[in-house]
Amino acid sequence: MEILTVENLTFSYPGETSPAIEDISFSVRDGDFTVVCGATGSGKSTLLRLLKREIAPLGKCCGRICYRGTALDALPEHTSAQKIGFVMQNPEQQIVTDKVWHELAFGPENLGWPQETIARKTAEMASYFGIEHWYEKRVSELSGGQKQLLNLAAVMVTDPDILILDEPCAQLDPIAASDFIATLKKLNRDFSLTILIVEHRLEELIPICDRLLVLDAGKVLTCDTPQAAAARLADRPELLCAMPTATRLFHALKLTGTCPLTVRDGRRMIESAFDHTVRALPPVPSCEHGRAALSFEGVFFRYGRELPDVLRDLDLTIFENEIFCILGGNGSGKTTALSAAAGLRKPHTGTIRVFGKKLKDYKNGALYRECLAVLPQDVQTTFLKNTVAEELADANIGASDFPFDLTHLLSKHPYDLSGGEQQLVALAKVLATKPKLLLLDEPTKGLDAQKKAAFIQILRRLKDRGVTIVVVTHDVEFTAACADRCALFFRGQAIAADEPTAFFADNRFYTTAASRMTKGYFDRTVTVEQIAALCALNARKGGTTC
Amino acid sequence: MRAFSEYNPAAVAVYFLAVIGTAMFCLDPILLFLSLLGSVFYQIARKNARPLKTHAYFLLLFLLSVLVNPIFSHNGVTVLFVVNDSPITLEATVYGAVAGLMILAVLYWFRAFTQIFTSDKLLYLFSRLSPKLALVLSMGLRYVPLFGEQARRIRETQTALGLYKDGNVVDRFRGGVRVFSVMVTWSLENGIITADSMTARGYGLERRTHFSIFRFRRGDWLLLGTTLALTAVCLSALALNPTPFTCYPAILWPPFSPLTAAAYGSYGLLAFLPTILEAKEALKWRSLLSKI
Repeated sequence: MEILTVENLTFSYPGETSPAIEDISFSVRDGDFTVVCGATGSGKSTLLRLLKREIAPLGKCCGRICYRGTALDALPEHTSAQKIGFVMQNPEQQIVTDKVWHELAFGPENLGWPQETIARKTAEMASYFGIEHWYEKRVSELSGGQKQLLNLAAVMVTDPDILILDEPCAQLDPIAASDFIATLKKLNRDFSLTILIVEHRLEELIPICDRLLVLDAGKVLTCDTPQAAAARLADRPELLCAMPTATRLFHALKLTGTCPLTVRDGRRMIESAFDHTVRALPPVPSCEHGRAALSFEGVFFRYGRELPDVLRDLDLTIFENEIFCILGGNGSGKTTALSAAAGLRKPHTGTIRVFGKKLKDYKNGALYRECLAVLPQDVQTTFLKNTVAEELADANIGASDFPFDLTHLLSKHPYDLSGGEQQLVALAKVLATKPKLLLLDEPTKGLDAQKKAAFIQILRRLKDRGVTIVVVTHDVEFTAACADRCALFFRGQAIAADEPTAFFADNRFYTTAASRMTKGYFDRTVTVEQIAALCALNARKGGTTC
Repeated sequence: MRAFSEYNPAAVAVYFLAVIGTAMFCLDPILLFLSLLGSVFYQIARKNARPLKTHAYFLLLFLLSVLVNPIFSHNGVTVLFVVNDSPITLEATVYGAVAGLMILAVLYWFRAFTQIFTSDKLLYLFSRLSPKLALVLSMGLRYVPLFGEQARRIRETQTALGLYKDGNVVDRFRGGVRVFSVMVTWSLENGIITADSMTARGYGLERRTHFSIFRFRRGDWLLLGTTLALTAVCLSALALNPTPFTCYPAILWPPFSPLTAAAYGSYGLLAFLPTILEAKEALKWRSLLSKI
């Protein structure tokens, strides 16, 4: 039975001439797991918000949205609030109260449930989501992943029939995101909960979804099973780049048949379609290292006298004019190392040198003038003014001084920009000091695949201008695509600094999907491009397709 | 049985109100001494002596009261000595000491109160009075640390951009103003998302209920009843006593009578109630341990 039907929905924001979404029709069956994808600005979020009456955007709307056959506007208030759950992107700002238990009870309180029912429901939810041991904690003590799980639990506590999620994993690290997606999958399978989700991180979502709804400039491009929908994206590189590795490889090799979605299917496809007489691409000669741009020598740091060391005996050298990626789990000291390099944290032992000069010899902010700059994880913290133009003026720069275009954003408020645009404006402000060493903290967080590819191009162009770039990231695919060298942080130390092909080819678990797909069949293939190039060198097996 | 701090916040709040209120409005040295002993013993029972600096501050306040009162107040019949033609009297000194004792006792009670009474307990109390106010307070408690954290992050980012200087007071003030102005924008932006999250979960519907994790149990009724009974006995005995403690013009101690005995006895019991409950808990655990 259809739980949600959308018929000829058109919506335009006030003052805009072209509609944000145009003539959209689709339906969602009870228990369906639907993924909505599309480029930034394709109307994904608008569509999702229109489906939740309480937070629907203001504007001109025609067409029909029905929940179980009843028009959304005609639903009783309590039903609408209770049965349609909505989880937003930012884990922090969705939380209303200061305690975990109170947050769980917030929805039921609004619905006017009696005390005993609330007690039972919150207890039930806390046990199911494994929140029990932090039930009485303050929300400020939780990690980002825990916060988002709490947001999910706080919506699930009122027992909704359909759950709508707007990029819930964008602000989470990959491990927390995987956990979150696994929880969604469990909810969908175990309770037949209908899920409608917009997300950039499709590698894990697409294999588990029932339907893929692809939006393009406010219109439905396709709405079908993920295999069928993904197969139809061959001529849409901007949409294809967000698809799972196996799907991208399928299109890169121009194969026909069923489109693979998982690493396992991708591996089968390669093994059945190609020989592996040529096992590896010719090695790229490694380039000579320049002088050291940034070096840590036996650095120890801790946040308080009683606390453990976050950086322990950190030795790491980053050379001039390279893009260096620092990978590692949460709490491994990556970000702390970056702040220490920027002089924002003082290590208790060891020395940090920037271009051969000790950090403490840079006096009166000399470090931040034409030497080193940091792009923080939360790029909003770089903004102080009301328009982008004022921001740039504040930093004494023009809009055309960068390897990217900002002119169309000048009159906007920095907070109104999309994640990717905010990133660029922040980067512009950071580049204003003409740094020779650029430190970036999680720059790809919340960016979609297309924006990420564009960002890699910008980093390359900066490198060509002679800038040394250090990136702290969780994103292995990004690292494989752009780093000259990378290192794994573990317990406050940098382990295995190497160039990414060697680094990822040696790793079994902490590596890219492409590497996992071809491990043992091909050697040293860590990106889709490398696999495609290698497949071209090998013979097709008996003209078969997978 | 539970530790004193685990009783229902309403009962605990009434207890503190009674014990502190009585101490504040009865300037009686014996009563105040009992009050001080009760609070100090409770702190010891909770093993909560640290940091030692607090005790030094409290003692300093007491000494200040003892020394300052006779300098400004020259009432009293017993002149100890004369400084700059002003008589320093015994009565004024004693009055200062009694007032100091009161300050000391009240401070120790408040110290215990702030340790026990966490924000969620305070909210529970407010929710009984006004659920809306309680929700606003809860949001405030969440929001204040969030605001501070964001301001710190912005300051750090701006420092690394070389746009935030803290060389001197003027620079620091200018930097602070810049950060504050953007924090206003950030708060509004933040507020919109939170408001959306609230309406999405049905805030603003009719008949909102209030949930709390505290229950009112038999022990809470007992604590509440005991507190009210002891306070009533103490206050009526004090009110009926025809010869209360007076300092001026001469020190007059109340003669021993059934009334004073009732007042001190009941207040003493009240002041030691938390210690007794705590000790009982400890003893019970010890006996339980020996059986395990």
